[in-house]
Amino acid sequence: MDDIRRTRSEMENHLIDEMIAGRITRRDFIRRGTVMGMSIPLISMIVAACGGANGSSSGSSSSSGGGTAKKGGTIRVAIIVPTGAINPLTVGDQGGLAMLGQTGEWLTIANPETLQLSGALADSWTSNADVSEWTFKLKSGVTFQDGTPMTSADVVYTMDMLSDSKGGSNALSVFGGVLDKGGTTAVDPSTVKFTLLAPNGNFPYLVSRDNYNAIIIKKGSDPASFEKTFMGTGPFKLEKYTTQVGASFVRNPTYWDSANAALPDRLEFTFYADEQPQIQALQGGTVDAIGQISVSGGRALLSDPAYTIIDVPSTAHRQVHMRNDKAPFTDKRVRQAMALCVDRPGIIEALFAGKAKLGNDSPFAPQYPSTDTSVPQRTQNISMAKQLLSDAGMANGFSVTLNTEKAYEIPDLALQIQSNAKQAGITVNILQQSPTVYYGDFTFGNSPWLDSTMGITDYAHRSVPNVLLGAPLLSTGTWNSAHFKNPGYDSLVKQYFGATDLQTQKGISKQVETLLLDETPIMFLYFYDFLGATKKTLAGVEITPVGQVQLAKAGFTA
Amino acid sequence: MARFILRRLGLAVITLWLISVLVFCSIQLLPGNVGRSILGPLASPQAVAALNHKLGTDKPALTQYREWVTGVVKGDFGTSQKLQVPVRPQLTAALRHSFELALIAFLVVVPLSLIGGTIAALRVGTAVDRGITTAGLSLSAVPEFVTGVVLIAVLGIWLNVLPISAAWEPGAGPWTQFTHLLMPAIALSCVLFGYIARMARAGMVEALDSDYVRTAILKGLPHRTVIRRHAMRNALLPTITVIATQLGYLIGGLVVVEILFNYQGIGRLIYNAAQAHDVPMLEGGAIVVGGVYLLATLIADVLYSLLNPRIRHQAAE
Repeated sequence: MDDIRRTRSEMENHLIDEMIAGRITRRDFIRRGTVMGMSIPLISMIVAACGGANGSSSGSSSSSGGGTAKKGGTIRVAIIVPTGAINPLTVGDQGGLAMLGQTGEWLTIANPETLQLSGALADSWTSNADVSEWTFKLKSGVTFQDGTPMTSADVVYTMDMLSDSKGGSNALSVFGGVLDKGGTTAVDPSTVKFTLLAPNGNFPYLVSRDNYNAIIIKKGSDPASFEKTFMGTGPFKLEKYTTQVGASFVRNPTYWDSANAALPDRLEFTFYADEQPQIQALQGGTVDAIGQISVSGGRALLSDPAYTIIDVPSTAHRQVHMRNDKAPFTDKRVRQAMALCVDRPGIIEALFAGKAKLGNDSPFAPQYPSTDTSVPQRTQNISMAKQLLSDAGMANGFSVTLNTEKAYEIPDLALQIQSNAKQAGITVNILQQSPTVYYGDFTFGNSPWLDSTMGITDYAHRSVPNVLLGAPLLSTGTWNSAHFKNPGYDSLVKQYFGATDLQTQKGISKQVETLLLDETPIMFLYFYDFLGATKKTLAGVEITPVGQVQLAKAGFTA
Repeated sequence: MARFILRRLGLAVITLWLISVLVFCSIQLLPGNVGRSILGPLASPQAVAALNHKLGTDKPALTQYREWVTGVVKGDFGTSQKLQVPVRPQLTAALRHSFELALIAFLVVVPLSLIGGTIAALRVGTAVDRGITTAGLSLSAVPEFVTGVVLIAVLGIWLNVLPISAAWEPGAGPWTQFTHLLMPAIALSCVLFGYIARMARAGMVEALDSDYVRTAILKGLPHRTVIRRHAMRNALLPTITVIATQLGYLIGGLVVVEILFNYQGIGRLIYNAAQAHDVPMLEGGAIVVGGVYLLATLIADVLYSLLNPRIRHQAAE
């Protein structure tokens, strides 16, 4: 162990100390160690030296199982139609990101279940002491599908384009305030340095597969023309792409990582405008797999033994905001009362057939290693809710309008909240709006999302809670629909972003979770699982919580 | 007749221009923009503004409209702002698909409805009449997506005799294409059957009650000849108009059926364009569907006048 320690940085040694002292679990050590850039063999050695197996391998339900996938064949997949051109710079929808992932690769990959990071195009990474600079060493021998070697120049080109604050990149929702154009530099052909705008201990996650736009493209290539070639470094290459109809890919015979070459000969994607036709296509044998199903739409598949349901825990959720600056929610007791009315386990059972995790009114999902799970879970308590309302001078309840987006299970969630709140004398009037109307112009004063007294908004999966702690809750947050302004919270979040070790992050998380439970600007009721479905005879299909369908290791078992 | 057709074509051009103005004004009133629809709700306002600038969607509305009209006059429908592909090939392919589906649906529903309506009229007041009328009304009352789901469940999944998707593999032959289109065509036929059959029945009942039919019968003409040459020819006049107006619906109004059977028709294309604020695609789609409606109405009028000498003579005068 001493030999290992001598070669490791101060932060890595601190992490090792934390595990030896029992302040973090082996699982957390592995997750955090991968973020710090420690290799899996090194982590295994340290865990073994500390007495125990590393426990990092878990039965992954993020991929379809049941038998060994055989090489060859064509796999037919149904996905939702991409809403725009397949441009790595602008793709922001599920169909589009599923397409990017077929031929593109990222610097790192976060395991969908454990959130453990591993290198994809990056071999290793390290940071400076205050985590404001990260240096990534690239894998050797990586080539694009046309045989051109991938170098640091391609990474700089890609990252500059994605992080350009004056550009139109979708990745700015991740890189905004973290990385700007010019912050990525090539140290040598196989080394890239990221100089951040502010310290960020979770930066390696921001260049992972979860930031789906961040596939590495060739220096000088026009992302707007990506759809014509799908030129990337991945295990498949484009055969044909037809706008709004579908796409087919074939195995890349010159894939740089020959040990992990794709099993299927060919992939055939068909685009569907809705979920139900996809399910019918699977049932009728037109396709072999579906990229995403919902519990409500896919109930017929959930209990049918002919299909495998791929169940991936995710941090995707809905936020129910209550405007802190507008009656009746100016009094935090009223907000607490509302949150106490809600029967969370009942909602999870009714809307997700149990396939979701409880939320505790903060963005800290149970999956995040930094979440402090010792903070008591809020549960339904109608008598306490009534008492709080009485204390706030609303013993007879009140009436409020709940704006909802007419999408996913949100209208049903609104009905559940309405029914639960009635028990405490609160009348919830539901106003359903199309997503276009609900989001409006996305600016304060021009958006029911940001202006309504109470509303429900959908939020996608994030491997780290940084974005969720920032935009919807910071006083200056651009998505702060609750109009929550709390200097104490702002200060804690700043500390969290700059924290370099897990124990510090956990300590801050506990304070944030406790503060948000007390203030309750937003109800976080659940974090739902991401579901996909395949035929029973198909194995190895991996689905990620952001919606990528990875098929390199997929194949038919019979 | 030629003057009549030319005048109608001239009016059609004006109507299409008005449609383009209306569509353009309407889209300006809708919330959201192209950049936002591409980047999604969580993209930063700066990124959305930069993308809109790049796509040219932040130009003044009049400039955008002028550019679009100038292009259309030259035969260029422009480039889809959202999909970044030329509009014309997309429109052409979608229109072809919609025509194919409409054709199959017509081949199924028109003969069935006419036969059903005629039989009902000939057996007016009997159980057969009530059966056909009730069945038609019931089928019309059921939305096409319900009929479609039932058909998929029974014919596609349970019996597995017809393909579930209306889209066929590239290079498929005419028979395969026909089998793929049959299920959505049946779903549409169910909706249209009641309407067309009811019109055919009403026209036939009226014709059978007319003096000229009574005279024909008293003249001793065979029953079949009376029905075919005297009653049916007159009874079909209003039905033809109904059928022609349904052509526009079958070409441009099948969003639900197209989504259910995953078919790349023009209804779905227009719907997606409207959602994305994709002005060139939406304008192109609206003009094409508007053109189809106008053409169908013109064909109906011409057919009407050919079948009805009184109208023909009025047009000539």
